[in-house]
Amino acid sequence: MRAHFGELSRALLAVVLVGGIFAWISPAFLTSANLTILVKHVAINAILGIGMTFVILSGGIDLSVGAIVGLAGMVAGGLIHHGLVFRGWGVVVYQHTWLVVAAALATGLAVGLVNGLLVSRLSVAPFIATLGTLYMARGAALLSSGGATFPDLGGRPELGNTGLPVLGAGTFASIPLPIWIMLGFALVAAVVAARTPFGRRVYAVGGNERAAELSGVRVRGIKTAVYAISGFCAAAVGLIIAAELGAAHPATGETFELNAIAAVVLGGTSLSGGRGSIGGTIVGALVIGELADGLVLAGVSEFWQFVIRGLVIVLAVVVDQLQPRRS
Amino acid sequence: MYAQFGYQRSPWRTHSCVPRRVSTRRLCALRRRAPLLLVLALASLFAACSPAPPARKTIAIITPSHDNPFFKAEADAAAARAGELGYLTTVNSHDDDAHRQDELIDVAVANRASAIVLDNAGADATVAALRKAKAAGIPCFLIDREINATGVAVAQIVSNNYQGAQLGGQEFVRLMGEKGSYLELLGRESDNNAQIRTRGFHDVIDRYPGLILAGQQSANWSQTEGFQKMETMIQAHHGVKGVIAGNDTMALGARAALEAAGLDKVIVVGFDGSPDAIAAVGRGALEATVLQPASVIARLAVEEVHKFLTTGATGAPEKQSIDCELVTPANAAEFGLFGRK
Repeated sequence: MRAHFGELSRALLAVVLVGGIFAWISPAFLTSANLTILVKHVAINAILGIGMTFVILSGGIDLSVGAIVGLAGMVAGGLIHHGLVFRGWGVVVYQHTWLVVAAALATGLAVGLVNGLLVSRLSVAPFIATLGTLYMARGAALLSSGGATFPDLGGRPELGNTGLPVLGAGTFASIPLPIWIMLGFALVAAVVAARTPFGRRVYAVGGNERAAELSGVRVRGIKTAVYAISGFCAAAVGLIIAAELGAAHPATGETFELNAIAAVVLGGTSLSGGRGSIGGTIVGALVIGELADGLVLAGVSEFWQFVIRGLVIVLAVVVDQLQPRRS
Repeated sequence: MYAQFGYQRSPWRTHSCVPRRVSTRRLCALRRRAPLLLVLALASLFAACSPAPPARKTIAIITPSHDNPFFKAEADAAAARAGELGYLTTVNSHDDDAHRQDELIDVAVANRASAIVLDNAGADATVAALRKAKAAGIPCFLIDREINATGVAVAQIVSNNYQGAQLGGQEFVRLMGEKGSYLELLGRESDNNAQIRTRGFHDVIDRYPGLILAGQQSANWSQTEGFQKMETMIQAHHGVKGVIAGNDTMALGARAALEAAGLDKVIVVGFDGSPDAIAAVGRGALEATVLQPASVIARLAVEEVHKFLTTGATGAPEKQSIDCELVTPANAAEFGLFGRK
């Protein structure tokens, strides 16, 4: 059930290889400042990928994460701009910010639950169910502001709050908070996936749904839960992006779902479910992040960036397929 | 499938398997008829919604997605002016998809719209669709973006992006004190306006040998990409003094990245004059931006529609270019939604 060491080491090899090439091209690549920024950028895709890994391990797919990123940011932005509602209750500033964060996370969780219920209770194919919620969540995000951006999420001076931007711009032990958040998510997810009964059941459902069911796994519950996890992760990403920019834009997160799926697959997780690991996904996200930032540092044109990114994704998976595999 | 497995799957429910099976059968019957029911429901919905044959003339307004305040402002301004002149309007978005635009134009033709006001989805991809509308006797008025053909649309009213970029470039040169290294964020490189703006910037900036372009990247008009790419670019290029961006959202993303890196002194100049950017210029977060008079252009287009429908001519040449304006902290308060207040 756990990732074979060989698979993970191959993905790590890709990280070192791609990193080495960029270190050779650009002297700025291997500086600690750049690597910090790089990992901070990776955090976005990695957190999405963590949620996506659970969904894909269970044999599903979640196309709605990018739209949830946008929607969660808009929920946070809307609440900060209409924060008066909470002031009437005499809620102090920190709680105000925490309430905003909680509401945004709850939104992601709720959309994820809808995905899960559509897939598990109504037997809608995951691709279609999450495509539907993708459109609905994106539409809701656009409706929430009439298409406009919520600017200045720093909160208002009269509230005196440092507010949401800390989540994106703050540091702990001189490492940006998004990286800590990613590490927290990764640690919890890795333990849950590899060491808990829930994790084993997710693998079981993805490996052979009928067999899992006959051996007493509550398949529907597991399926509902994995989409909820994915929605929650996406909402966390929405909050981080809104915090980094200090603004919430309804179109944020378009095509993020594809990057997340690419990270999961690059990390050796099988799209048909039942095989893969959280660690692999983190490494996969690192490869994609290295490419995205390294090509910018090297000053490569956007058009070539697309081509190279595509080539590396395909190559990495092809190499993975060619390796002999123990089962 | 799942309905048939239902009672096997959940042993604790077996005591109710008989009524469940009955209800399952009913459910199946309902399911078989579901498509029919759906069609009937939708048909009655549309019947209830479809308006009586219009007594007033209709203008179809088609723009890119309203998630960009620029396009929302132009659509709103056009619809408002049309309302004042006594027209009905339909407002739709083609999301920069030429195929979707083609469908929307077909719909306008089928609904016998009196005119189409269009911010198009591609200089070449739009021509055939407009020829079709022209053949059906519906005059088309293009706003914001030109097409690569003349004589198809009655008017093509655009803001002068090149002139605007030169304005922004001049202000950037002044702010930089004519020397120092700078970074540039380009718009989506497949977009004509991204090319025109960068050309306008460089036709001015490149005349000053003291100004050195340290790096150039596309951030696809996006705030998130502007933020991330700027964070990476400043790793490779230390001591950058200024950033010039092809639009405001990228400029605001770059500003957030510079602030996070403690580089508050870096000069950032944008383009578009979106409400967020004007507010940012007002409080000093952006040093300048260039305002495209989108609302002015949209209103002008509707006025020309009115003139054309009442007199048979607009009285203006097909290609019309409206100048952009520079927004600085000194005059930011004078500007509203893509126009002077």
